[in-house]
Amino acid sequence: MIIRMAKVEIVGPKQDLLSTLDLLHNRGIFQPDPQLMERVELAEGEQLQTLVLDENELRERSFFQDMQERVTNLLELLPEVNNGISPLQPLPVMGLLDELVDQHLATTRDQVRILNECRRNAEDLQRDLSFWEALEPLLEDLPKNSNLELFGVTIRDSRQLHNLDCLLQERTQGRCYISSTTAADGTLIGLIATDSGMADGLREALTSERVPELSLPEELADLPLPQRITALHDQLKAQQDKCNQLEVRLMDMSHRWRPIYRRALAWLDERLALYRATATAYTTRLCFIIQGWMANDQVDKLHDDLNRSFSGRVVLEQQAILEEDLDQVPVMLRNPGYFAPFEIMSRLLPLPKYSSYDPTPLIGLFFPVLFGMILGDIGYGMILIVLAFFLARHFPERTLASDIGKILGIAALYTLVFGVLYGEFLGDLGETWLGLHPVWFNRGKAVVPMIVFSLTVGIVHILLGMTLGALTELRRHQPRKALVKLAMLVAVILMVLSLVGWFYPQSWLSTGPLLIGVGILMPILIAAEGLLAPLELLKTMGNIISYVRIMAIGFSSILLAMVANRLGGMTGDIMVGILVGGTLHAFNLLLGVFAPTVHSLRLHYVEFFSKFLDLGGRRFEPWQKRHP
Amino acid sequence: MEKVLIAFAAALAVGLPALATAWAQSRIGAAGAGTLAEKPELTGAIIILVAIPETMVILGFVVAAMILLML
Repeated sequence: MIIRMAKVEIVGPKQDLLSTLDLLHNRGIFQPDPQLMERVELAEGEQLQTLVLDENELRERSFFQDMQERVTNLLELLPEVNNGISPLQPLPVMGLLDELVDQHLATTRDQVRILNECRRNAEDLQRDLSFWEALEPLLEDLPKNSNLELFGVTIRDSRQLHNLDCLLQERTQGRCYISSTTAADGTLIGLIATDSGMADGLREALTSERVPELSLPEELADLPLPQRITALHDQLKAQQDKCNQLEVRLMDMSHRWRPIYRRALAWLDERLALYRATATAYTTRLCFIIQGWMANDQVDKLHDDLNRSFSGRVVLEQQAILEEDLDQVPVMLRNPGYFAPFEIMSRLLPLPKYSSYDPTPLIGLFFPVLFGMILGDIGYGMILIVLAFFLARHFPERTLASDIGKILGIAALYTLVFGVLYGEFLGDLGETWLGLHPVWFNRGKAVVPMIVFSLTVGIVHILLGMTLGALTELRRHQPRKALVKLAMLVAVILMVLSLVGWFYPQSWLSTGPLLIGVGILMPILIAAEGLLAPLELLKTMGNIISYVRIMAIGFSSILLAMVANRLGGMTGDIMVGILVGGTLHAFNLLLGVFAPTVHSLRLHYVEFFSKFLDLGGRRFEPWQKRHP
Repeated sequence: MEKVLIAFAAALAVGLPALATAWAQSRIGAAGAGTLAEKPELTGAIIILVAIPETMVILGFVVAAMILLML
C-alpha cells in the first residue's frame, strides 16, 4: 500500500541549521523539497533567500573537499583488503591525517608506478623467453657455423611463412635457412639463419615485408642463444622478485591504513553531504526554513526529537497537502506479509502517483487466481508446490529467489484448486488412470463454456478497474472526471449486456433498449472526453476479449499434456514411455509456468491497470547516512 | 467441400494474425533487447510491449473458434 505522507516545515534560528540538518540526516526519515518553498508566505519586509555560507564554513568545506579527493585517490591506489572500517573518530585527528595523506599518497604513487613498470618488464621478458625457448630446438637443425647470424621473427600465418621463405631465398641467393614453430601462446614464430654478410639485406627485406623481428634487451643481443635464454630467465626472476617485494609493501600499507582512510572518507562524505543539504534550506534575516516530506506516522517522533535536541528553538509544523501538491508528494510503498513478495512484479512498473493505488495488493490478489485458471492441473500444481517448498527451504532470508518461491507456492495452490475443478492430473492421465472427473467442466472439450468463463473473468476485472479509476478521480478531487468514468462504466455494462442478449437471447434481456442506452450515453461521453470516447469504449471491449487468452493458453497446455500421454503410451515400453512422456510434460510445465506468468502480468499491466493506475510518482528518498 | 472451406477459413483466421503477431513481436523484441541493454529498469514496459501484439492472435483464435463452432 502507499504510505500516507506528511508535508512538514521546519523552522529555527540560522545558527542551528547545520545541527538540525545533521539530526535529520541521522534520523533518515525526511526528504527535503525546495520546490515547496515557492509557496511560503512571509511577513511584510521579510525576504526569503537561499542560504549563503559564511567565510569559515566555506573554508572548512573547501578543505574537506580537497581532503576527500586526496583520500579517494589514495584508496584507489592501495590494494583492496577486507579488513573493515576503523572505529576512529576522524574529526579530532583531521589535521594529522591531512599531513599523513600527502606523504602516503606520494609514497604509494611511487611504489605503484615502479610496480607497474616491473610488471610490464616481466611480461615482456616472459614473452621473449617463451619465443626464444620455442626457437631453441630449431638450432639443432643448423650447422655449427660461427659466421651464422640468427633472427627470430613472428609470422602471421603459414601462407606468410611460405612467401617469406621464397623472398629470403631470392634475396640471399639461397644462402638462408628458415624454420618455424609455435610458441606457448599459439603465435607462429620463425628462426632465420644466414651468413653475417647477408644480415643487413635480410633485415631490410623483413622490414619491407613488415615481418616483426623478436625484440631483445640490448645487453642480451650479442649473446649466443643458449646464454640469451639463461640471461632472460635471470632477468625475469629479478623482475618478479621486485614485483613481489613491492606488492608485499603495498599490502602492508593497505592493511595498516586502509581502515582508517575508509573511515575518514565515510565521515568526509557525510560532512560534505550536510553542506550540500544546506542548498535545500532557505533563510530570512534570522531564521532558516526547510520544507519537505516524511511518513505521517513519523511526524510526532521527529517533533519530539527536535524539541529535545534544541529545547524548542527549532519547530516542526505539519501542513495540509494541497491539491497542487498531489503530483509532487513522494511515494513510499510498504506491503506486509502475504503481499510483500508480489512487490517484485509491481517494481517492473514505474511508481504510482501518491493519489493513485499501489498495484502490489491487486497483483497479489488476482495474479495467482489467473495463473491457476490458466495452468489448472493437479499434477503440475503438486510439482510447483514441491519447487516452492525447495526455494523456501534454501532461501530463508528475503531474497528474489525466496519471493519467487512464495509467489510460486501461492500460484501452485490455485493451480491445484482449478486442477480439481477441471479434473486434470497431468492432462487426461488422471481421467485414464485414476478415474478423475471434472467437478466443473472438462476444458479440453468444453471450449465455448471456457471462452464464456474467461470473458466473464475479464468483465469482472475490467469493471473493477474502471470503478477504481472513478474512485481515483474522486480522491484527486475531480468529481467531473469521476462522473465521466462512471458513465463509461455504465456504457460498458450496457454493451456487455446487449452482447449477452445477442448471443444468448433471454426474454428479460432485450438488446435494443440496451443499445439505445449506449447511444444516449455516447454524446455525453463525447462532450466530456472528445471524439476518442467511442474508441475508448471499443478499446475496453477489446480489453475484455483479451481475457480469452486464459482459455486459449490453458487449452494449448492441456492439449500438449494429452499429446505427451499419447506419445508415451505409443512407445509400447514402460521405461521409454515414461521417458518420452516425462520429457514432454517437463517441457509443458516449463511453458506452463512461463506463459501464465507473462500473460497474467500482461492482463494486469495492459488491461486492468490502464483503467485506473496513474503512474509516474516520485520515489521517497529521505536524507540518510550512507555509512552507519 | 463445405467442411473443407470452413476449416480453411478457421485456419486463415488464426494463421494470418499469428504471422502478424510473430512479425510484430520480432520487431518489438529486437528493439526491446537493445533498450534493455542500456536501460534495464524498463523491463516491465518491454514485457508489456512484447505481449501487446498477442491480442491479434487471441482475437484470431476467437474468430476461428466462432467459425468452427457456429457454422
